[in-house]
Amino acid sequence: MTTVTPSQAPVTPPSGLARFWRRAPSSLRVGAIILAIHVVVAVTGPLWAPYGVAQMGAGIPLSGASLAHPFGIDQLGRDVFSRVVHGGHIVMLLALSGTLLGLVIGAVIGLLSGYLRGWIDEVIMRLVEAMISIPFLVLGLLAVSAAGPELSGSPLLVIMVVAFLYAPRIARLARSAALEIVTKDFVTIARLRGESPWSVVRRELLPNTTSVLLVEFAVRTGYAPVLVGSLGFLGFGMRPPTPEWGLMISENRTLLLASPVTVLGPGLMLASLVVGLNLFTEGLARILGRTVQIGQR
Amino acid sequence: MTVLRLIAGRVLVSLLTLLLVSMLIFAFVEILPGDVASRILGRDATEASLAVLRERLHLNDPAPERYVRWLGTLLTGDLGTALTSARPINEILAPRITNTLLLSAFALAIYFPLCLIPAALQALNRDRSLDHALSVVTLIIVSLPEFLLATLLMVVFVAWAGLFPAMSVVDDTTSFWDYLRAIALPGTTLGVVMAVYAVRMLRDNLIEVLDADYIRMAEFKGLSRWRVMIRHALPNALVPTLNVTALNLAYLVGGVVVVEKVFAFPGFGSLLIDALQLRDAPLIESTVLITATVYIGANLVADVGAVLLNPRLRTG
Repeated sequence: MTTVTPSQAPVTPPSGLARFWRRAPSSLRVGAIILAIHVVVAVTGPLWAPYGVAQMGAGIPLSGASLAHPFGIDQLGRDVFSRVVHGGHIVMLLALSGTLLGLVIGAVIGLLSGYLRGWIDEVIMRLVEAMISIPFLVLGLLAVSAAGPELSGSPLLVIMVVAFLYAPRIARLARSAALEIVTKDFVTIARLRGESPWSVVRRELLPNTTSVLLVEFAVRTGYAPVLVGSLGFLGFGMRPPTPEWGLMISENRTLLLASPVTVLGPGLMLASLVVGLNLFTEGLARILGRTVQIGQR
Repeated sequence: MTVLRLIAGRVLVSLLTLLLVSMLIFAFVEILPGDVASRILGRDATEASLAVLRERLHLNDPAPERYVRWLGTLLTGDLGTALTSARPINEILAPRITNTLLLSAFALAIYFPLCLIPAALQALNRDRSLDHALSVVTLIIVSLPEFLLATLLMVVFVAWAGLFPAMSVVDDTTSFWDYLRAIALPGTTLGVVMAVYAVRMLRDNLIEVLDADYIRMAEFKGLSRWRVMIRHALPNALVPTLNVTALNLAYLVGGVVVVEKVFAFPGFGSLLIDALQLRDAPLIESTVLITATVYIGANLVADVGAVLLNPRLRTG
């Protein structure tokens, strides 16, 4: 123990978190700041948004950007800025819960499949390959159509579709991660101890594939708002008057020439959310020593 | 010989996947809500006429039987008849596919320079401000949804500059010049989306190649940096990028769906969406199956290409 001269002594010793923050890659820090702003706006927004989510008569329709209405007024006379603010938690909840559900389903199927091997693995993986072979959005649109009119426009359907699109892709990744460790001694020992496949997956495979799955979760979360927005934009997602950003861009696009700012507002929010998520993911991957392809499709 | 066997194996797996995909698509269309016969004849149809139509369309047969019959006619090259327009699907598809191929050709034409030039600039200025700036720009564009990028291009080039039409409507009578104007923005959207996906990988490959001994040798001989880049580094860095390009082609078949819809371009992608919105079962089946076939084909090309280009895989 060396004596510390008063001038060198920090007033408060840096906590673990502060040290982590200072050493973190700049992409993670910038991403985290952008995400923090988004979360604060999404959580507190409904309390301070100047107008209600469907409140008409906020101003002259399509009157353009002003200090009172930074993102302008849409054709129904609603304040676009207020709607964008009200929509934040919807976009985030849809994206996050869809990805989470897809991660859980995909990880369970993939790890079990990789551990059990044999014909079960073969059947599951062929099916997974088939699902991956229909482009993302096309399969999503097909699933929404098949779900029928009762479910259409419901947040539950959007969440289920995101999970449905992600699960096979995550399953394939989880399986290949499982294949790398199933030959290790501790897995063999667990099996010889008589543990059930489910228990081996939960106690041995899952803890050893966490970092792979964590990065995958981050990458997929980054793309989920795009997916939710694309569904909304094409009329296969949330329904009006929900202030989901993709849907808002689609609604206001018809009068793009008259008032571009009503499209740019929600576009800016959607883009900055995804940029924040992707920056965060890239930094996280660097810390965990993994490479990621941002914007995976 | 092992290479041939490896490739044959990949082809076989792809065909098997395609067969499974056709079952998957059929199953999805099966559970589409609503009775097909009453969808065609409308609400006022009598029970008798509905029964006749069901019989004629074989709707009373069990699903597996109908699936096999559908597959049988598919193999003869006949895609059947669309429900809503009652026209042969082959006939509907032909002009749509032509349009989408022209759009894709435009997108690919701008894709190559859009990914080569920034990647070369980044590799030559590694870890300098230009490299970082371009990294940030590509990350931002990678994060933009296609529909948003397309809409932004519309704001700039249609609303502000007034250079292009807002709707990319074309038909047989469209002149070459107007056609080019119509596909400029959707084509640029697709080209940019594909390029930013490849730029990062190409940059990393280029940097790796630039560190190799034979490049140092070329530099010591006194060749200029750009000459080294174009004559020596790019050809070697391009090989791994071919894989990304094949994957980008796979992306393109899904990407056209959104982008064509944004610009109301009468291509294959907007036909797919129209079919889904009209719940036109045979048209949905055909368009989605074609999409999946192209997707699987492009992935197969990427796979086989990787095998052929990688000596380590070749011996394995």
